[in-house]
Amino acid sequence: MAKRLAFLVDAKRCLGCFTCAMACKNQYATEPGVNWREVYPLQADIYPHHERAFYSLACNHCEKPACLEVCPVQAYSKREKDGIVVHHQEKCIGCGNCIRSCPYGAPRYNPVEKRAEKCSLCHERIDAGLQPACVQSCPVAALTLIDLAAGEPDNSVQFPPGYPKMPALNPATRFRQAELPIIHRREDI
Amino acid sequence: MKPSMELPLVLFTILSQTAVGIVLLSGLRRWSLAGGAGQADRREWTAAAALLALGLVFSLFHLGHPLDAVTALKHLSTSWLSREALVFALLAGLMLLAGVQGLPRGIVRLTVAGGLLGLLIQGMTYAPPSFPAINNVLPFVFFLVSAVTLGAGAASLLAPEEARPALVRVLIAGLWAGLGVHLAAPCVWLSGGTVMRLTGQAYLASPLYWAHIVIGLALPLWVVLKSRSIPRWLPFVLLAGALCGRIVFYLETMHTAANMGALY
Amino acid sequence: MSGWDRTRMERTLENGVTRRGFLKGLALTGAAAAAPCLLLRALSADANQRFGEGYQVFRNACPRNCYDTCSIKSYVKDGAVRFVEGAPESTYTHGGLCVKGNSYVRYAYSPDRIKYPMVQDGRGTGRWKRISWDEAMDRIAKKILELKQQDGSLLGLALTKYSGNFGITNYGVEGLMSSLGYTTRLVGTPCWPAGIDAQNFDMGNMWCNDPEDMTQSRYIIIWGANPAWCSVHSMKYIYAAREAGAKIVVVDPVLTQTAAKADEFWQVVPGSDGALALGMCRHLLDLGLHDAGWLKANALGFDAFAAYLRENVTVEWAAKTSGVPAERIRAVAEEFARAKPATIWIGYGMQRHVNGGASVRAIDALVAMTGNIGKVGGGARYGHLQTWGFNYHAMIRKPPEGSKGFVGAAGPKGEFDFAQGGAAVKYTDRALNINKTAQEILDAKDPAVRMLWVSCKNVLSQDFDRNKLLQAFKKLELVVVADHFFNQTVEQADIVLPVTTLFEEWTVNVSYWHYWLSLNEQAVKPLFESKSNIEIAAALSKRLNELAPGSCTFPTQLDTREWMEKEFNKKVYELFGIQSWEDLRKGPVKARMPQAAWSDLKFGTPSKKYEFTSDLCAKNGNNALPVYVEGRKPYDKLRLLTPHSKFNIHSQFQNLDWMMGFNPAPVVYVHPAAAAERAIKDGDTVRVFNKTGEVRLTARLTANVARDTLLMYEGWYKGLAFNCQNLVDDTPADMGKFKTGAPGVAIHDQFADLVRA
Repeated sequence: MAKRLAFLVDAKRCLGCFTCAMACKNQYATEPGVNWREVYPLQADIYPHHERAFYSLACNHCEKPACLEVCPVQAYSKREKDGIVVHHQEKCIGCGNCIRSCPYGAPRYNPVEKRAEKCSLCHERIDAGLQPACVQSCPVAALTLIDLAAGEPDNSVQFPPGYPKMPALNPATRFRQAELPIIHRREDI
Repeated sequence: MKPSMELPLVLFTILSQTAVGIVLLSGLRRWSLAGGAGQADRREWTAAAALLALGLVFSLFHLGHPLDAVTALKHLSTSWLSREALVFALLAGLMLLAGVQGLPRGIVRLTVAGGLLGLLIQGMTYAPPSFPAINNVLPFVFFLVSAVTLGAGAASLLAPEEARPALVRVLIAGLWAGLGVHLAAPCVWLSGGTVMRLTGQAYLASPLYWAHIVIGLALPLWVVLKSRSIPRWLPFVLLAGALCGRIVFYLETMHTAANMGALY
Repeated sequence: MSGWDRTRMERTLENGVTRRGFLKGLALTGAAAAAPCLLLRALSADANQRFGEGYQVFRNACPRNCYDTCSIKSYVKDGAVRFVEGAPESTYTHGGLCVKGNSYVRYAYSPDRIKYPMVQDGRGTGRWKRISWDEAMDRIAKKILELKQQDGSLLGLALTKYSGNFGITNYGVEGLMSSLGYTTRLVGTPCWPAGIDAQNFDMGNMWCNDPEDMTQSRYIIIWGANPAWCSVHSMKYIYAAREAGAKIVVVDPVLTQTAAKADEFWQVVPGSDGALALGMCRHLLDLGLHDAGWLKANALGFDAFAAYLRENVTVEWAAKTSGVPAERIRAVAEEFARAKPATIWIGYGMQRHVNGGASVRAIDALVAMTGNIGKVGGGARYGHLQTWGFNYHAMIRKPPEGSKGFVGAAGPKGEFDFAQGGAAVKYTDRALNINKTAQEILDAKDPAVRMLWVSCKNVLSQDFDRNKLLQAFKKLELVVVADHFFNQTVEQADIVLPVTTLFEEWTVNVSYWHYWLSLNEQAVKPLFESKSNIEIAAALSKRLNELAPGSCTFPTQLDTREWMEKEFNKKVYELFGIQSWEDLRKGPVKARMPQAAWSDLKFGTPSKKYEFTSDLCAKNGNNALPVYVEGRKPYDKLRLLTPHSKFNIHSQFQNLDWMMGFNPAPVVYVHPAAAAERAIKDGDTVRVFNKTGEVRLTARLTANVARDTLLMYEGWYKGLAFNCQNLVDDTPADMGKFKTGAPGVAIHDQFADLVRA
C-alpha cells in the first residue's frame, strides 16, 4: 500500500528554535538567504504573545502540487510510493513559475544556480531508512514525519489559522495548535 | 517569494499584447477580405511580428537558463506557461507569414483567434491561486485592455489612413474600459480577504499605479476626446503608462506566502 | 566606533583575488577541503548513490558555553566536513543539535574566516596585512622579552580568556602563560559566580542533578532561566514531566519562550526573586509544610532562618516586592511542598543582579526546607563541575627558573581553575577582576598592563562598559588575539592569529549541566594556516627559546591528539566506565553517578550539613542567613535587560550569513505603553541611551516585557556596530569572589531611556 508521507507540525511542542530550518541548510548547504524551511511566528490575532508560537514549514508535498502542474519543463515529479514531491533541479530553467504559483512559498530561487529549489523531504535519507534532517534534529519532537495513508493524526488539522487554505492542492502537512500558559503579570505597575 | 518588478515579463507581456492588439484590430477590420493587402496593412503585421519577437527575446531574460528555453514547451498537458510559450511562438510566425503573404484571409482569421486564445492563456498563466487578488478573470481583462489600447495606439502609427477614425473610437472605448477596470479592481480588493486587501492597499499607495492611471489612461483619454485624433506622440505615452501599470501588477500584487502566520 | 572598514579589509584579505579565482586557486593547490559552502553540496542529485555512502564519520563535541554541550557526528568527504548531526548514542543530545550547532559547517567554512596571521597597521583601521607564523611569533616573542627585560617580570602581560572554547586542551593557553613566568590574569567569570558562591555556602559545592531526571519531577519551577532558547535539549524532559502530570511554573521578568510553554507564568520584578522565594518559605513555615525530619537530620541553622522569616517576611510583603499576587505565592508554595519530588531550575540570568547571590540562597532554602535536596527529580539545579576531573596537563606548567611575579594573596583564577591549591609560593600571577577589565587595565600599575593576549573570549563584544574598555585599550602596547572572525575585539587588535575550530583539533569535552563525556576528533586538516591554541603556544615557545633559551617551558612542538590523551586519568575512566579514550570513538558516554546530587547527603560545607546559617557566607562579606537583600535602585527611567538569544552563544554564530538569514538585525523590545509615551511605533529606529553609552536599533512593541522594562539580546551581528555592552556598567553582584576569584556583575541591573532616532 502506497504511503503518503507528511510533516506533523506540533505548535504546542514547538519552541521556535529554528533547529529544523538550520538542519536543512546543514544537510544541503543551501545558499545564504535561500531557506527551504522557514519558521514563521504566529501573529497576535492568532497567538497573543509576540513571537512565541510558530509554524515550521517547508514543502507540503501536496496531493495536487501547484509547482508540478505549472512547471513548463516537468522538473517536478510526485513519487508513487510515498507521495514525496521531488524537484529535479537539473531540468529547471529558472522561470520562477513554481515560485510564483505555490501559495505556500515552498520553492525558492537560488540566485547562484539561477534555478528554483525546495524541500524534497530528504528522499535520499528516507530511502536509506532515515528521518528527514529537520525531523531528526528537532530537540522536542515538535516536527515529526507521519504517514497519512495510515490515517489522520489525533488532534490535528489541515488548515490552521495563519496557513493558506488551498483544498484544491490538498497539502499533506498537519498541525497541532499552540497553547497558552496562565499568566500573572506584575501587580506593582 | 521576493516581490520583483519582473521587467522581462513586463516587457514581454506589454509587447506581446500590443502585437496581438494590432493584429486583432487589423484582422477584425479585414475579417471578410480575401487578401492582397496593401503596404500599410502588411506593415502593421510585420511590425506586430517584430514586436512580439522582441517581447519573446525579452522574456528569455527572465529565465535563469535562457539557452534551455525551448524545453519550456515540454509540459503542455498541465502548464499554462508551456502553452503560452507555444502559442506566442506560433503567433509570431503567423504574423510574419501573414504580413509577407499579403494577409490571406485564412491566416488572418487564425491569427485573430490565436491572439485571443493567447490572451486567455496569458490570463491563466499569471493568475495562480497564490495571488488571491488576481486568481480570477482580472489578468485576462487587464491584458485585453492593454491589447486594445496599445494595439490601437501602435496601429495609429502604422495602419492605412482609412483605418484611423475607427482606431480613435476603439482607443476611446479601450481607455474608458481601462479606467473603469483599473480604478475598480483595487477598490473591490479592499473588501476581500487579508491578502486581497493588502494588494488593494499596495496598489493604491503605489506612485506607479497612479502614473498608469493618469499617464497611461486618463491623460490619453482626455487628449483623444478633445482632439478626436491620436497624436503621433500619444502611443509612446500610452506605452510608458502601460509599463508602469504592468510593473505594479508584478511588484505590488501580494503573494499568500507573504502573510504566513497571520490571519487570512 | 572607530573606522573599521569591512570592504577595505576584505580587499586587503583577498589581495585583489576575486572569489572565483580564489576558489580555483584552492582547487589547484589541493586545498579544496577549505572551500566555502558553494562547493559543498552535501547530497548529490545522483539517485543511484545511497545516502550516507562514501563519508568518513568523526566524533566531535560542541565546545561552546552552553548547557547542552552536544555530542556531534561529522560527515567528511574529500577532506571537508559536509554536514553534521547530533550523536544518537547520547540520550541527551538525542541525535539532534540546535540552530547554532547545525550551522557549524558554515562556521568552519565561512568566507569570513581568518586564514592567516595578520598584523593591523593602526587599531580599528582595517588595514590588515598578512604575515607568516614565523613573523607573528617573532614579533610577539620579542615583545614578551622586552616586557620581561624592562619590568623585571611578565606582570605586564595579561591574559583574558573565558568560554569561547571549552575543549579541555584549550586550557593550554593558561598553560602557556604559566610557562612564560608570572603574568597578569583576568580572573573570575561574568557568567554565574554569585550563584556558585551561594550554592557553595549552602551546600559546599555547586552540584545539580542529572537534567535527564527531570522526567521524574512532579513540580518544576524554572526561575530566571530560558531553556526553550538556551538549553533546548532539556525541554524534552520538562515536557515528559508535564505529560506525567507535573506542573511547570516559570518565574521571569519577561514572558519568555519557556514561559509560553509553561502551565503558569509569573512576571516578577527583576531582582526581587529573593523576596519571592522567602515569601514562599514563610508561608510553608506557617503551614508546617517544611520537611522537619529532613531538616533536623541534614540542616544547620534552620531555626535561625525560621526566626528570620517570622520577624521579617510576610507573603504580603513578598507580593508587594515581587509583583506576584499573594494568593498565587501561597498556592504555588503549597503545591511545590506537596509535590514529591519538586525541583527549581535556577537560571544564571536570575543571579545577574547586585543581590543575585542572596536570591540564589533564598531559592536554595526553599528547595531545602521542602526536603527536595538529594532526591531524583528534585534539587536546586544550577550547574555542576563533577565530570571535569581531567589532568589539566595542558594548563599546569612550571614557570622558568628565576621568574619574578606578584607578591600577595593568591586566589582561584576562576571556576575552572582546577589547579588551585598546593603549598604557598613566593610569587603568583597578578589577578585582576575580569568583570572590571576596563577599570583594572586603566588602574594597573607596577607594572602597568602593557600587553594583552586574548583567546576564547571576545572582550569588546562581551565585557562591560564598552566605552571605558576602548579607553583601556589605548594603554596597551600590543594586543594579540587568537580567533576565527574579524570580530569587535580583533578590530582593536595589533596581531590576529587564526585558530582552529572543533573539526580541526583533538580535544575532549564535558558539560556543566548534563553528565556526558564526548571525544572531539580531528575530522579535517586545519583550514588555511589556522592552528589550535596549544599549537600556537608551542610555536611561540619555540621562537622564545630561540631568542632566549629557557624563557618558556612550554613544549616547542606537540601533537593535539597526544595532548588530548594526556588529559585522561584513572578517575575519569572509572567515572565513565571506559577502558580508554578510544572507547569514545564509538560515541559519547555518561558518567556513572547517582542522578541526584547530594544523594548521600554528605554536604561539602564546614558542618557537612546544608547550611541555612553559613559562617563562610558571613566571612565573605554577606549575611550568614539567606536574607533578603535589596536590589539596585534605578539610575534611569526604564530597566534594561540584556539576556541571551536563541540565535547565538554570546558573540558566536550570529555573525554567520546563514544565521543572519534567520535573524537579520538586533531589536529592542518595548512595552506599547512605554512606546506610546515616547511616540515610538513598531519598527521605528530608536536610540537607547544611559550614563554608560548608547545603541541604535529597531524597536518592536510587545507586552512580553513589563511597562518599565526594555529588552535587547546580546550578540554580534556581522557588519553592525550594535553592542549592548555600550549600556552595561560593571557594577558587581554580591557574591562570586569566594569560589571564582571575583564578584559577578549585575548585568540585569541596568537602566536606560530611549527616543526615536
